[in-house]
Amino acid sequence: MTKQDLIDFETRIADYFNTGKIQAPVHLYYGNEDEIIQIFKTVRPQDWVFCSWRSHYQCLLKGVPSEEVEKEILEGRSISLCFPEYKIYSSAIVGGVLSIAVGTAMSVKRNKEDSFVYCFLGDMTSETGIAHESIKYSTQHNLPIRFIIEDNCKSVCTDTREVWNDNRLTYEGFNNDIIYYYKYDTKYPHAGAGMRVQF
Amino acid sequence: MEYLAQDKRTVFLGQAVAVAGTGMSNTLKDISKNKLIELPVAEEMQMGMSLGMALNGKIPISVYPRWNFLLCAVSQLVNHVDKVPLMSKYKANVIIRTSIGSERPLHPQCQHIGDFTDAFRMMCKTIEIIRLDEPEDIFPAYEKALLRDDNRSTILVEWGDYYNEK
Repeated sequence: MTKQDLIDFETRIADYFNTGKIQAPVHLYYGNEDEIIQIFKTVRPQDWVFCSWRSHYQCLLKGVPSEEVEKEILEGRSISLCFPEYKIYSSAIVGGVLSIAVGTAMSVKRNKEDSFVYCFLGDMTSETGIAHESIKYSTQHNLPIRFIIEDNCKSVCTDTREVWNDNRLTYEGFNNDIIYYYKYDTKYPHAGAGMRVQF
Repeated sequence: MEYLAQDKRTVFLGQAVAVAGTGMSNTLKDISKNKLIELPVAEEMQMGMSLGMALNGKIPISVYPRWNFLLCAVSQLVNHVDKVPLMSKYKANVIIRTSIGSERPLHPQCQHIGDFTDAFRMMCKTIEIIRLDEPEDIFPAYEKALLRDDNRSTILVEWGDYYNEK
């Protein structure tokens, strides 16, 4: 799956959405292809991936056939894509996957499994209480998990830094065993593909 | 609890599961320590961790000593544990243990004695909520929760006062 493959996939989904072929919300990626491809170079089939409502790239890079991902999106499940056979779990609730990922990582550790957990979250989520708890617990218990914070500088239409009155996010710039932070600019809105549909 | 602990898939987690502290702690004192995961007070995280372990094949018994404390985990309970069977093909069995707080010999007042059984039955679409009104209800209910293969989780509601009275 190349950078262009990812962009082409989201472009196709955007077209479906803007022409009314998807009767459900979608959240599209753009501008982070190099970063996320690099992250997935270490992700193995036995590893777990937890995502937010924006997860098309993760599903594709984890190995779910694009036709299968597209089918689920067309059926309205873009914001909570789950593929147990590929160990992918996504949720449309802010912060929802974080503690679930922690539990899976704890289970992996207790079972001494050769597996690792990757948990993706956005900039606003990274400032929540559940993020603090989940990251702290995982760090202090040395769990096999890494949190990937993807900062697109927005939460729906809200500026994360402005509403927290803080120019620097808590984990901004982090790159260690437990947290990887990166920032990107996207051409897509929080939801949809440019044709505004309020929901 | 000893019956549940015999199943290699089970693990008990929550505050005061590995140490003393609540009426439920006494019911776990004979369980092997490696089955007990003492957690910080972080109800929402605890519920998420319970589900995360269940996704990987464990059967967590997630302990919330009072309904009022379980309220702090409602998002994970209603949006995730309850919805996993509806939004995915994941299999997950979470056993949630709570109680209607005891009123005797000390009355802890209104923040500790809530019974939200009926409200949660209305809020949940897949989780089965069983209130254990009599001692003879307890074992069959836990046995059902452990062995069920219908991809539903279970909340078992105990009565705090009955630990001493029944």
